[in-house]
Parts: sequence; structure tokens; C-alpha cells
Amino acid sequence: MSAAVTGATRRYTGSLGELLVRNTVLLAAAVVFVAFSLASSKFASGSNLRNIAIQGSGSAVMAVGMTFVIITAGIDLSVGAILFLSTGGAAELFVHGLPVVWAPLVAVLFGIGLGALNGASIAFVAINPLIVTLATLNLYRGLGGHLTGFTTVYLPPGMTKFGTTTVASIPAPIIVAAVVALAGGLVLRRTVFGRYVQAIGANSEAARNLGLPVRRVLVGVYAISGLTAALAGLIENGRLGALQPTVGLGEELTVITAVVLGGTSLFGGKGSILGSLLGVALLQMVADGLVLARISPYVFDMLRASVLIVAVLIGTSRAGGLRALPIGRRPRLEVGP
Amino acid sequence: MLVKHVRLMLIAAAVGALAITMVAAGSAVAKPSATPTIGVSFDLLNQIRKAELTGIKQYAATKHVKILFSVANNDANQQSQQIQNFISQHVTGVIAIAQNGDQIVSSIRAANRAGIPFATIDRAPGKGGKVVAQVTGNALGDGAKVANYMCSLHKPLNVLLMVGALTDANAIGRRDGFLSAAKSCANIKVVQTLPTNWDPTTALNGVTNAFQAHPEINAIFDPSDYLLPAVVSALKATQHFNPVGDAKHVAVVTIDGDNNGCFALRSKWIDADVATQVGKFGPSAIDAILARTAAPKLVKVPGLTLSQQNFTTTHSLVWGCAYGPNGFKK
Repeated sequence: MSAAVTGATRRYTGSLGELLVRNTVLLAAAVVFVAFSLASSKFASGSNLRNIAIQGSGSAVMAVGMTFVIITAGIDLSVGAILFLSTGGAAELFVHGLPVVWAPLVAVLFGIGLGALNGASIAFVAINPLIVTLATLNLYRGLGGHLTGFTTVYLPPGMTKFGTTTVASIPAPIIVAAVVALAGGLVLRRTVFGRYVQAIGANSEAARNLGLPVRRVLVGVYAISGLTAALAGLIENGRLGALQPTVGLGEELTVITAVVLGGTSLFGGKGSILGSLLGVALLQMVADGLVLARISPYVFDMLRASVLIVAVLIGTSRAGGLRALPIGRRPRLEVGP
Repeated sequence: MLVKHVRLMLIAAAVGALAITMVAAGSAVAKPSATPTIGVSFDLLNQIRKAELTGIKQYAATKHVKILFSVANNDANQQSQQIQNFISQHVTGVIAIAQNGDQIVSSIRAANRAGIPFATIDRAPGKGGKVVAQVTGNALGDGAKVANYMCSLHKPLNVLLMVGALTDANAIGRRDGFLSAAKSCANIKVVQTLPTNWDPTTALNGVTNAFQAHPEINAIFDPSDYLLPAVVSALKATQHFNPVGDAKHVAVVTIDGDNNGCFALRSKWIDADVATQVGKFGPSAIDAILARTAAPKLVKVPGLTLSQQNFTTTHSLVWGCAYGPNGFKK
């Protein structure tokens, strides 16, 4: 496969401007960490960092799936709704006699199925991912609401383990997030499927002409997104101990912001799981630090919005090869054998 | 070939779903009749809304009034269209819970032009239209009742003040009512204010972080029962979850009176719940529509404090206690 298709050999020339843009999320995370550590003596404590890791686990898991989706130049707005419906569906089956030990597996299968349905609509009916997932966002949340009656559903202990238990003193949400991130990174970087994902995102027409199974890969990518949304649902609903009708509402925006902050191009073809995790960590540190530093509640949304704007600017500048920013030079695309 | 078949199947499924929806919607359209008919438009349909709808339907039945009901699913534009449909059907009146207080003003004006009385419940509309009644809970009063109850505990309280959404009048009213009443109580000290945007996960994370920053917190004002599972989970996660009566108990007082609150009170997880008397919203609105009152009738229904002290005698008056301890229907 040529580098022109994968975009894998895109190389920057190394100026300070380029270095800053390429590592913005890392720099921003470092600045935020130092700033909040100065503002609150408890921010950098071990127990608070543990809190940040637990609280960011659900978003981190979803960010792995979203990274795959965005690398294909797609988008999945339905992840928050899948998070709700997958747990809701499993909880409803539990009420109707499903043994609770099967409930997490059922929730995951629901997630894969719902994601695959998104992927099939995008790949086989050729509807824009934004439209498909906007529609299924409403469809899935509506279905979940119908199943649960839009009421709070207290989950049985067997369904809360992903959010509350510890293994060797490590909270389960952190373990799940680490395993999913590791697996996602390996699939993206070390498998044929992962290379197909990048190739399709870089140039889907070229990928199709080369005989790559574009449709099947797209279905797989959205199924992965559904799977990670369902796992995030088990973590977040498990932590809450209950399923509530608004859980996951708007979470897609947080996850997309984190992924774009982490360097994945909204225009496809380029991205990394590690970057997405850093994006999640940055957003979670901001959310945590604002409380610890006792900053006015009215500033919360302004800061979140600012982070989103920065993420979009970074994404745009990257897609334009830094042309949108006055710093740095344009990337040189090398075409290898 | 496979692609073609899959595509055809997906299109057929979409068309089928659309057809079923249209048939279902068509069957729900009311035909004009001599019976007084009131169109009811809700922003969403959760448990509290169901209780409000039950209050409307029960009172409407006693007045021989027919109810047409629609839900906007949190979509202000959809709500506008649904109300326009009611107006087109020349209903006797409209009762609405606004998805957005400002956006509903255009619907109120449209009803005014058609000579159809319009009443709003639960959430106050913006300025501009003319309503025959505006029936809401008493957000300021309910917040004050929370502070008064905490004050009655007669011990120093370092309070975590949770706030709903900073753009929501009920959330702000509850907060301001609490702060105003707390000023006259020397026992209450607010050590942290936490915006939640009514989101359980934000609330869970925020309460956990608040205990990290202020281990001295020994009381929580939760502005809605909806956030109670998050509060309870955060208390458990931070090893602060102890029942009422335990020396290490963190006092929790909340508002709404839904099944979460009733269940938590019965389980001795929380101290009190200021229950909104939602069943009283509809009757006032229906009366105003049928009377076509010229001056807007402004009704603020006061909350009812359900506590550990009066639970046995008062819980039957609280709407959420009629539901099972779990969210699933009884």
C-alpha cells in the first residue's frame, strides 16, 4: 500500500511552531496540571489523580472507538445514546429473568449491534455519517426511554461491577480503560484492519480502487464504536449504581473534543489512541480542577467551550497542513514505495 | 448484488417504520367535537411529568374535558409544531410545559391570535404572550424550606450546595431560596457550590471531587431527587455513606419527592425531601382555561417537606411514593 494512500509517512520539518502544534494536547495538559496544582494543594495528590483516572475512564473507552471512526473521516454522534440503550436493554432483560451474570455481555452485544447498524447504513446506503448517527442518536435514546419508561433504574450488583470493584487495589474502570486502549492501539497500528482504517480515511476512493473492503471495514469501525460505548455504559452506569434517562446525553461532544484535541484529524486518515487518551485526561483535569480550585460555577461552561474552540482550531490547522496558523511551515508529504 | 439487497432491505425497513409511525400518529389525531378539548404539550415524559399528566387527566375527567397529549422530546421546535397542530384543531385551550421558556412565547402569541386560552405549568414562560394561568412550584420557597430543615437539625453544617443548570429558573430559584434562608441560620456554612447541569455523571464526579477538596463537608443540598443516585454513589465512593442516626452521617436534603427521594427516605439514606405537589398543577390550569380568566392567574404551589420525622404520616401525600422503589413500573 502506498504512503500516499495511508498518509503514514507525513513528516514535519521540526520547527518550534510545528512542534507546539503537534504536541498541543501534551503541553496543554502540562499547563493545566501545573496551574491547578498551584491553585489547590489537593489537585496533585495521589487520591485525586486516582479520582481523575476513574472519572475519565468511561470517556477514555469511548474515545478509543471514536478515534477509529474519525480516522475514517466519519463521526458517531450516537455513542451517548448507545451508552444509555445498551445498559437499558440489558437491565430490561434482567428484569424479565435474564441471569445477571449475562447482563454485561448482553449490553456489549447490544452495543456492537447498534454500532454495526450505523456502519451498515453509512457503508451500504451511502448516507452521510453525520446524518445517520444524528438520526440514530434520537432513535436509540427514544428506544432506551421506551424500555425504561424514562425513570431511574437501580441496577443489580452484578451490573455495577465494571464501575465499582477493584482488582489488586486498581479500580475496575481504570483497568477496562487500559485494556481497551491497549487493544485499540494494537489493532490500529499492528493489524491489516488498522491499516485499512487509515487508508480509507486518507482517501476512500483510492482505497476502493485498490480493492480494499471499504464497506466491511466501515461496518467494523462503527461496531467498535458501539462496543466501546456499551463498555463505557457499564462503567458509568455501574459507578452511578443506576441507569438514568439523561446518562450519556451530550457525551459524544466531550469524546469528539478529546479525540480532536488528541491529534486525530476531523478530515480522516490520521490519529492516535494515545493522543485521544491525553485529550480525555486534559478535559477531565479541567473538570476536576475547577471544583478543587473553587472557581466560579459560571466559568465552568466558558472554559469547556474555550477548550472545544481550541480543539477545532487545532484540528483545522492540522488538516490544512498548518496553513491556518502563522507558525511553522507546511508539512511535506513524502510518497514512499 | 449483496450490496443492492442490503440497501433495498434498509430502505424498506426505513419506509416501513415511517409508515407505521404515520398510521400511529394518524390514529391519535382528534376529530373536532362539542366536548371541551384541551391540548397538552410536555417537554418530555419522565416520572414527574407522568405525575403531572395524571393530575391533569384525573381533573379533566371530573370536568368532562377531553385531553390531547403530545411530547416534544426536549425539542423546542417540535413543541412549537405540536402546539400549532392543537391551534389548527381549534382546541378549547392549551396547557404546556415549555421546553424553552423564551421560545414558547411565539406559540403563546399564536394561540392568543386564535383566541385560544393558553396556560403554562411547571416552567414559567418568557415575556411577550398572554397566558390565562401560570402554575409552577415555588422554587425560592422550596430552596428556603431545605435551608430551614437543615437549620432545624441544630448542629454546625458545612454544606455542599449543588446547583442544577445555571440557565434553569428552577435551579437558580432553589439555590437562591436556600442561600437567602441560610443567611439567618448560624449553623449553615456553604463551603462549596457545584454546578451539575442536571447531569448525574457530572454530579457524581463533582460530589466526589468536592469531598476531596473539603473533607469537612457534612451536609449536601441536592436540588433534585433525580441526582440522588449520583449523590449516594459519591458518598459510597468516598466512604461517607452512613445512614441517618449514625454519628458520621452526612445530612442530605433534596427536592422533588419522586421515587428516588421516597426510596432514599424510607431507607434512611437522606434526611428530608421537599416534595413538589405536581398533582395540583393541572387543575388550576384547567380551571383557568375553562373560565377564560382575563387576568393571568399566577399560582406557586408550595412544596411539602417529607422528613424522617413525618414520613409515616405524610408519605402518602407525596407523588413519588406511589411508585416502586425501583424505576421500573409497579
